Amino acid sequence: MPTPSAARIHEFEVVSNTPVAEGIWSLVMRAPKLAEGLSSGQFMSIAVPGDATQLVRVPLSFSKADPVKGTVETEYAVVGDGTRRLSLMRPGDTSDVLGPGGHGWRLESHPRRVLLVAGGIGITPIVSAARWLAREGVEFDAIVGTKTVNTLWGFDELMSVGVQHVVITSDDGTAGDQGFTTDALEPALAGGEYDLVLTCGPEVMMHKVADICAAVGVACEVSMERMMTCGFGACATCVVPTRSGNVGACMGGPVFDAKEVVW
Amino acid sequence: MSAPNMAVDLGGIKMHNPINTAAGTYGFGWQFEGFYDVSQLGAITTKGCAAEAWPGNPKPRMCEVTSGVMNSVGLMNPGVRGLVEQSGEYLQGLSDKGCAVICQVAGHSVDEYVAAVELFEELAPFAAGLEINISCPNIAAGGCAMGSTPDGAAEVIRALRPRTDRPLLVKMAPARVVEVAKALEAEGADALSVINSIPAMSIDVHTRRSRLSRPTGGLSGPCLHNIAVRMVWEVAHAVDIPVNGVGGVMSGADAAEFILAGATSVSVGMSNLVRPDSAPRILSELVSWVEEQGVDDVNDLIGAFEC
Repeated sequence: MPTPSAARIHEFEVVSNTPVAEGIWSLVMRAPKLAEGLSSGQFMSIAVPGDATQLVRVPLSFSKADPVKGTVETEYAVVGDGTRRLSLMRPGDTSDVLGPGGHGWRLESHPRRVLLVAGGIGITPIVSAARWLAREGVEFDAIVGTKTVNTLWGFDELMSVGVQHVVITSDDGTAGDQGFTTDALEPALAGGEYDLVLTCGPEVMMHKVADICAAVGVACEVSMERMMTCGFGACATCVVPTRSGNVGACMGGPVFDAKEVVW
Repeated sequence: MSAPNMAVDLGGIKMHNPINTAAGTYGFGWQFEGFYDVSQLGAITTKGCAAEAWPGNPKPRMCEVTSGVMNSVGLMNPGVRGLVEQSGEYLQGLSDKGCAVICQVAGHSVDEYVAAVELFEELAPFAAGLEINISCPNIAAGGCAMGSTPDGAAEVIRALRPRTDRPLLVKMAPARVVEVAKALEAEGADALSVINSIPAMSIDVHTRRSRLSRPTGGLSGPCLHNIAVRMVWEVAHAVDIPVNGVGGVMSGADAAEFILAGATSVSVGMSNLVRPDSAPRILSELVSWVEEQGVDDVNDLIGAFEC
């Protein structure tokens, strides 16, 4: 039989849940088995309490899984009712979480140097990727895009795990260079230092990142966001069009080889 | 008191208990093996498959509404050959363990349903029965366009009945259920699955766009459970063939409600997606309910509703 998802249902307890930037919250939950099982770039789906009429789990990426403390950290944007209710959870509150979901970043190309490109809340799995690259001893730089300085999160975390260079871009110029991550990407790739780009952010941004990488022959992995119902390959609602047809982001992704995605 | 008999016969499909799964919420069964031993269920119903693979609809395919979801998956499926190649060995094993494997059949036209049934006949010895989906609200042709009228529904089953000896279930649209059920029974359907998701709309008032990739989608979940119970009750009174109740079953009590309304078996649907271990829990709650009712056979409770 095909391999079922490794996801299981884990009870969790909120350790902390606080705003870290405008519209962005950081949740740390205690879920030891999940913390042991998560690989960078995978996702989890949280049953968020607070409204008995809203049943679908909220799928989120994570920035840090600490198997020693048994905790998982995620930064999430409060964009809808599910994330609004999640932001109301307080330390000590409990619920359950399904994970680990899908497969994460790959290092199949054995990169020498990696460029991370994050847009908006796409920073969360990018910070996780940074921690993982640091553990693997792979050097990396980052481009981080934000709307304004108030919505910026992740710079300190990237610095603390050993990023070499970080370029910040903001839509309004209040942080770093005014413009988009893709404006900074082309010159960054011109030097030929990178053999892999990992990106997560708005789909229009990832599409452009993928095109730029393809044009200069640099491998690129994209972390795709989709509405998900089950998160383990049963419902076929989260598909991403690929060269091999529609593939569920929850099992075939969320991380895809950018060359495989039909944008 | 010894454990009650939970085995039921759904139109020739022998189930060791009444719990089935709703097609489209259960993949091909193996997706749930990480959560529990699927063979403890009476039956599973696999994702609707056509003779050839279908890509399904564009995104977004799902939006959440009050106490339910709307979907516009569009019966994305690997085709019968794809199903057998990917999941056939697993499904045969499941069947060998005593869990009835019901394969749902999709098509855009009578000819396509015929082609798919012929392929199942040839390639799927594990199928205890075939569930003909004439009620998908998310495909351009076939689906509920055919299943919503007695003549349209009858035409499909008339064409399929001579082509298989296996039990034929029909997944019914939530429309004119009594007339359609009688027409299906007259054409030789062995059992009826009542109901498929209900055609529905959800509009993002800020963008004025549909929250799905198409204007309408199929509504499912606990919000429609009591509509489904009413329709099961109406159909069970109108025909002599057994009914499989489908719609918003989240608990053993929900399943019991279908059985009291006249269902022989009950499919768990959306609950599988939000809580993947829910079907065995619902089964266990159902067994407790049968015991609590003081009967030694669940069959004694089918249609035992009293007004």
